Amino acid sequence: MLRDLPPNEFSGFHRTHGRPGIRNHLLVLCVCGLNAPAARKIHGALTDSVLISSAFGRGQIGNDKTFHDSLLSQFGCHPNVGAVLLLAADKPMRQRYQSIIESSGRLCAGFSLQEYGEDSEQLVSQAISAGQTFALTLAGMLRQPCETSALAVAIECGHSDATSGIVANPLVGDLADRLIAQGASVVISETMEWTGTERDLYARCRTPDIAEKLKRLIQQRHAIAAAADIDIHYGNPGPQNHIGGITTLAEKSHGAIAKGGTTGIVGALDQGEVIPEIPGLFLMDTPTLSPESISSMVAASAQIVIFTTGQGNPYGSAVAPTIKLTANPDTARRLPRQIDYDASAAFTGVATRTSMLPALAMKFLEVCEGSPVAAECLAEGDEVISRLAPSI
Amino acid sequence: MIVPSAILLHPTDNVICLLRDHLAGEKPLVASIQSEIQEGPALIANVPLGHKVAFATIPTSAKVIKYGARIGQATQDINAGEHVHLHNLEDRTPHGYGSC
Repeated sequence: MLRDLPPNEFSGFHRTHGRPGIRNHLLVLCVCGLNAPAARKIHGALTDSVLISSAFGRGQIGNDKTFHDSLLSQFGCHPNVGAVLLLAADKPMRQRYQSIIESSGRLCAGFSLQEYGEDSEQLVSQAISAGQTFALTLAGMLRQPCETSALAVAIECGHSDATSGIVANPLVGDLADRLIAQGASVVISETMEWTGTERDLYARCRTPDIAEKLKRLIQQRHAIAAAADIDIHYGNPGPQNHIGGITTLAEKSHGAIAKGGTTGIVGALDQGEVIPEIPGLFLMDTPTLSPESISSMVAASAQIVIFTTGQGNPYGSAVAPTIKLTANPDTARRLPRQIDYDASAAFTGVATRTSMLPALAMKFLEVCEGSPVAAECLAEGDEVISRLAPSI
Repeated sequence: MIVPSAILLHPTDNVICLLRDHLAGEKPLVASIQSEIQEGPALIANVPLGHKVAFATIPTSAKVIKYGARIGQATQDINAGEHVHLHNLEDRTPHGYGSC
């Protein structure tokens, strides 16, 4: 039975382009900070909508502009998005995003301040009306059988402790191995957390080209720290880690990357780079903060996130259901409504890691098929787009 | 019901991790992903939760393996059942900056 979990099919939403959705969201997508207050009002009026709102969008240059605009476009075409209310500052900006989103087969209604004579109130009422129409259309779309191999799964850890490296991350890694065996793509990130495991990671790369790309990404991220005179090796692992039983840096980082399982690495991705539709484990270069790293992986088309935590962490993706898992019995007791899967029985010794995998796989399947996660129920979802450089 | 008190994270590991505090002389019951719960070697000293214990003898300079990966090497001979930590394990590999 274990071999068949998760099953090779789930019930989701077919898309004309790209991976299928596990949600059919109405997305309020605000691509410029000038529209942000209006976007909040529209999202507030449309109870089932999700909101992605940029605080920027003008005066950005170079890589920062390219990254900002690409991630917003990718969110607009995300597998879990069925329809988009697009809010922009001016007509060319609105047209640029709208043509990308419409060509992905999504419903899209675009609104710019310029085209409404800078009348934000009028824009809000028209957008709400269009959103109500979209909501009816989305509600009429039915789930259909989809292949598990079409899933891209992002895995993250945050506020980690001893329970993370020993039980939570290896358990999720077991699920990652199963999903990859079913043909799915899995992605992990947070480049600094690979420090000390580089040799093993390069050895796991399927081709020398992948290892070279990974090496370049790691060097770039470390160069940012070096340029700021930050020695990331100093005192790492620190006294608290030592008391908790961690001896070496490689050991600490292996505890983090255990969440990606044990298979070969099939790709090294730039931050936010779209995950190719091939099976296997991808590593994505991202900063350390969970909102930045999770949003980068979700924008890259991950439909679902598994987020392990030691001490607790409320954050979830707005677009991709985020399954919160802990192996810390105190955390599970303290935050019962915020933890989706309590794996602490494998830490207290009441159950084995092996015995917890089928229930975790079932939970994963239920979430794919529409069962809400804690972060969805508690409206903790958000998306954050990193700034890569200052604006002019 | 048998309750495991330690975990072997990967079949190739030569250390186990303790799921609770152990006293000298105790034999941990070791859970693993690929086999039934098994009895580990008797502990030589008290070892706290979360810490590592040698599952087999690890000679000086041999790799210490956890998560199926090398986390450093033994700086002295380590007997099965011995605590593995700062006094007998270190990693001399330079890290970061993409070292292969």
